[in-house]
Amino acid sequence: MGFNVETLPAYAKRSQRMVITAPPVTNQPVTPKALTAGQNKPHPPHIPGHFPEFPDPHTYIKTPTYREPVSDYQVLREKAASQRRDVERALTRFMAKTGETQSLFKDDVSTFPLIAARPFTVPYLTALLPSELEMQQMEETDSSEQDEQTDTENLPLHMSTEEAGPEKENSSVLQQSSSLAGSRNGEENVIDNPYLRPVKKPKIRRKK
Amino acid sequence: MNRKKGDKGFESPRPYKLTHQVVCINNINFQRKSVVGYVELTIFPTVANLNRIKLNSKQCRIYRVRVNDLEAAFIYNDPTLEVCHHESKQRNLNYFSNAYAAAVSAVDPDAGNGELCIKVPSELWKHVDELKVLKVHINFSLDQPKGGLHFVVPDMEGNMAERGAHVFSCGYQNSTRFWFPCVDSYSELCTWKLEYTVDAAMVAVSNGDLVETVYTHDMRKKTFHYMLTIPTAASNISLAIGPFEILVDPYMHEVTHFCLPQLLPLLKHTTSYLHEVFEFYEEILTCRYPYSCFKTVFIDEAYVEVAAYASMSIFSTNLLHSAMIIDETPLTRRCLAQALAQQFFGCFISRMSWSDEWVLKGISGYIYGLWMKKTFGVNEYRHWIKQELDQIVAYELKTGGVLLHPIFGGGKEKDNPASHLHFSIKHPHTLSWEYYTMFQCKAHLVMRLIENRISMEFMLQVFNKLLSLASTASSQKFQSHMWSQMLVSTSGFLKSISNVSGKDIQPLIKQWVDQSGVVKFYGSFAFNRKRNVLELEIKQDYTSPGTQKYVGPLKVTVQELDGSFNHTLQIEENSLKHDIPCHSKSRRNKKKKIPLMNGEEVDMDLSAMDADSPLLWIRIDPDMSVLRKVEFEQSDFMWQYQLRYERDVVAQEEAILALEKFPTPASRLALTDILEQEQCFYRVRMLACFCLAKIANSMVSTWTGPPAMKSLFTRMFCCKTCPNIVKTNNFMNFQSYFLQKTMPVAMALLRDVHNLCPKEVLMFILDLIKYNDNRKNKFSDNYYRAELIDALANSVTPAVSVNNEVRTLDNLNPDVRLILEEITRFLNMEKLLPSYRHTITVSCLKAIRVLQKNGHVPSDPALFKSYAEYGHFVDVRIAALEAVVDYTKVDRSYEELQWLLSMVQNDPVPYIRHKILDMLTKNPPFTKNMESPLCNEALVDQLWKLMNSGTSHDWRLRCGAVDLYFTLFGLSRPSCLPLPELGLVLNLKEKKAVLNPTIIPESVANNQEPVISSNNHGQSVGFQNTFSNSQEEEEIDMDTVHDSQAFIYHHLNMLERPSTPGKEQSSGEITMHPVSAAPLSVFSKESNSSKHSDHHHHHHHEHKKKKKKHKHKHKHKHKHDTKEKEKDPFVFSNSPASARSIRSPSLSD
Repeated sequence: MGFNVETLPAYAKRSQRMVITAPPVTNQPVTPKALTAGQNKPHPPHIPGHFPEFPDPHTYIKTPTYREPVSDYQVLREKAASQRRDVERALTRFMAKTGETQSLFKDDVSTFPLIAARPFTVPYLTALLPSELEMQQMEETDSSEQDEQTDTENLPLHMSTEEAGPEKENSSVLQQSSSLAGSRNGEENVIDNPYLRPVKKPKIRRKK
Repeated sequence: MNRKKGDKGFESPRPYKLTHQVVCINNINFQRKSVVGYVELTIFPTVANLNRIKLNSKQCRIYRVRVNDLEAAFIYNDPTLEVCHHESKQRNLNYFSNAYAAAVSAVDPDAGNGELCIKVPSELWKHVDELKVLKVHINFSLDQPKGGLHFVVPDMEGNMAERGAHVFSCGYQNSTRFWFPCVDSYSELCTWKLEYTVDAAMVAVSNGDLVETVYTHDMRKKTFHYMLTIPTAASNISLAIGPFEILVDPYMHEVTHFCLPQLLPLLKHTTSYLHEVFEFYEEILTCRYPYSCFKTVFIDEAYVEVAAYASMSIFSTNLLHSAMIIDETPLTRRCLAQALAQQFFGCFISRMSWSDEWVLKGISGYIYGLWMKKTFGVNEYRHWIKQELDQIVAYELKTGGVLLHPIFGGGKEKDNPASHLHFSIKHPHTLSWEYYTMFQCKAHLVMRLIENRISMEFMLQVFNKLLSLASTASSQKFQSHMWSQMLVSTSGFLKSISNVSGKDIQPLIKQWVDQSGVVKFYGSFAFNRKRNVLELEIKQDYTSPGTQKYVGPLKVTVQELDGSFNHTLQIEENSLKHDIPCHSKSRRNKKKKIPLMNGEEVDMDLSAMDADSPLLWIRIDPDMSVLRKVEFEQSDFMWQYQLRYERDVVAQEEAILALEKFPTPASRLALTDILEQEQCFYRVRMLACFCLAKIANSMVSTWTGPPAMKSLFTRMFCCKTCPNIVKTNNFMNFQSYFLQKTMPVAMALLRDVHNLCPKEVLMFILDLIKYNDNRKNKFSDNYYRAELIDALANSVTPAVSVNNEVRTLDNLNPDVRLILEEITRFLNMEKLLPSYRHTITVSCLKAIRVLQKNGHVPSDPALFKSYAEYGHFVDVRIAALEAVVDYTKVDRSYEELQWLLSMVQNDPVPYIRHKILDMLTKNPPFTKNMESPLCNEALVDQLWKLMNSGTSHDWRLRCGAVDLYFTLFGLSRPSCLPLPELGLVLNLKEKKAVLNPTIIPESVANNQEPVISSNNHGQSVGFQNTFSNSQEEEEIDMDTVHDSQAFIYHHLNMLERPSTPGKEQSSGEITMHPVSAAPLSVFSKESNSSKHSDHHHHHHHEHKKKKKKHKHKHKHKHKHDTKEKEKDPFVFSNSPASARSIRSPSLSD
């Protein structure tokens, strides 16, 4: 490769050469004595004896360890509240940053950014229909309604519903209907309602 | 109508009887918003020489009229299009109101008038003389109707059905004339055949039975054929066309519900209750629902929330709700029940004349009240009656009275039963909307008074009698003279009552129906220990406006230690003092339970009582059997006993209001106890919250313990273990729910010694918001969250302004910063997860306005204006507009006022237009006698124009404009106007004349010039014109038509049309007359007074001018105007010439 082999020793002995020190001899790590964690299990009868022994129990036994769950109601609520608030804040800020905004202060548009009002083509739909989240929630509460509520704090409130106040009828009437609504749906196929009748074909002679 | 006349039965004001009408709409174009169709009226002449038929028709373009297949000439004249012609000086509301009433009269079907006058062809005269049937066939079209028929066409991709485009009829009182020619009266009944050809994807819902639906030949459209065999007034005919989803009521298959696409689940839930209302009414009236079917249609951009028509009702789509919504549910049910009550009384049973309207509104309101009582309980019912009573009392005292049954005598101004009002009550169309609302309220209250007198049983018998008479009459297919049995009149109703009950209720009617005003009582008492007598003094104020003197029985209930006793006092002319013997001696040593009115016996702590008196509390007119306001004086402990122990919710509410004046620890305790009482009516408890806040503020220096209601709220709604955290929401108990919503709102009104909201309270509310958790709730919490924002707004107090610097973020108060943080987050979250009816946005907008008004945030309407735009949900728009109205007032902004007024003219939604005027009237930027930079001549002109001609397509809107004009300028000439150049202002009301001191004879003010130039133009082309119209887009402004050739050409074109063109014709109100040049040419040179009269006359026909002398004064002239319009129905003072009228000169002369 164009080098003179003779010059190699000289090069090796040059003054600025880098000396690579030999790796320090480390003590051979002593294989620690197998920590015996409990007795090795003997083979169950269906395993022939020539099979190796079971490994130490600690290799397969699981000791479920977990942190004590935060069962303090107050902390949970606190967490849920601040988490939701943070998410909402972050989300709305993001939306505000990425879209048009309005501001209450002329000098500062970023501290309280308001997502700009945007007219709808059909405004009543968003205003009246429950959002998907609400629908989902409704289904959940419907199914879990009979379930025991984890929040025991709410129980007394439940109880008070049963107490017949003087204005009880007020609430009972309002709720009554929803339970009745579905009951007679099966009959609909026999309904004779003019709006359900088929549309007639035009007559050959023009109707005057 | 006159009562004596009514006794003889119904007399039609028309020389003919209408028996049947066909309405056929064969084309509806959503893109162009136009309608083409024809009507055919079958009429029987009742007089031999019938040669003209007058019908009602507005804004329709009429192409052709045939009577029994013969072409007929017709004239179309609508004086209400422009009320005062060329009236540029007067600007006086008195004048306008008279002129408007006259104009409405001139086309009033109840006076036999109409906008459309058809000449019976001479060939048929003989036929008519034999009183044989006439068939009047009218082809018409409607182009971009501004009233009567409302198109909703969302601006998006897709065909009309996919876009959810729909159209529906709407309006206030008789407004059917806006969409087809008819006799637009509630007293002219006939049977109907209705046909609508619509796009195959659409449904047409109308009155009566759907007989069949047939495809057109191209199969792209279908025709809905309806038959209404029950005689019905044209004013009760309605229509809704749209791509509706159809729901047949699962309980009653004759009932069909319609809603806009995607809303079917809501419709199902909302209407699931309706059958119970049906059952209730049918049961109490012992009468079947009169029509064979019923339809409910829920549409967008509704004119009113509820509109009842024959066999169908049109509702606002915003009444629909899901099962998760609490607050809207009772409201919507009330609307449904109201609509159904009006099916019986209002649609099926109609009225003879406008002055009988109170009977219909009264009965429907009354039976609706009975439904309320049954559905929501006696407490709710009594609360409602009290609320309605308070409202009507406040309104009457403010305005001077609501008259239920006006009788119109000679028509002299002196006899005017409503001279205290700025509008005429002679016609429904001249009434202020607020007055009409209050009128309905009074009507049902008076029905209740009648019930009190004759018993509910008799009352229901009377209703049943009216209904069965009507239903017998309605089945008389070919005896149309019987149909008048379906009309109710005041006299007929009263006769029924006396027949059924045998009681004379004449005094009651005289007091509350034939006369306006309410009673104002002041009561006080002293206990005479020696005689053991309660000396009660009851004074009346019957001299203030809106009051009347009451003479008759008055019930007083006295709660004594031994029990509750009713006494009936006779209120007479001069007796103020009434001695009431007491039953019990004051003895407090005996421990005994105290019997209450309802038989209950309770233990009371009597230590607060006056030791000498056995009186616990006294109530005057506890049953609300007089339309009155009572101011009664009794000691604070008596009010406290009344609050704690009286079982009537009205008494409890009265006690709460009275306790505001007694900020003592005892009051505090009484209110707190009520708040905690779960047995207590929730509305009373809600009211107690606000009273407690007021008391706490008055007691601020001596208040001990935590802020009022805080510990109570904590106990009721917060977690036991961590009292600062509210429980997760569970709104199963509605009473608790309402209380939970209200308490923070009331607490936020608390103030400390520095008049600031205590920090503790603000933090408490912020915590409620923070820890609000609705995940486990069956119901939506949107109303609750909205009220928490309201609470934040309530906590705001005026900013301490160091100097008048501009508000910036840096000097923002830290508390306000926290509030603003929440509002921002809420408002932004609404964009991502909108709440039902956007209640949260509404509350946020209100709160922002509060922050602006209190100087924390720079006052700026820009945000509100963006939310007020078309395309936002109506509640949001109203809230935003309210803020703009408030801004306009506070900042005296001319620009915003203009912006609002332009919206009044141009907004697509009639309700918004109405509401802006309403809000401006309630929160006016200035009032009369107030100096304001906004009050100037241009504004006067603008508003004048608005009410004079700009709102002719909507009665309600026009009356709203009149109300606003009245609020801003009063009845007489607006003070900001310079005295007219003519020098003489005659004040009709006060009979005063003012001479302009600065008058210079030769000077012609600027505002006169257009008038003169227009006259000159008119002369030069040989027309006497009456162009002062302004409301039509195709307006022909004389100032701009400089080229007289073009002008003539334009009109020749018009004349060549084969028919009366509805629109252009109304704008081009021209009459072909040889010019009477003389008075006009000397116009500017003549003396002032004659100049003035010229102005008012040049629009009249020549023959009218001849009749009059030119030199009479204003006052006379007005009378002439009105009188002549009434006397001579064939004078069309502003008759628009049409092709027809020229061909049939006999009519136009």
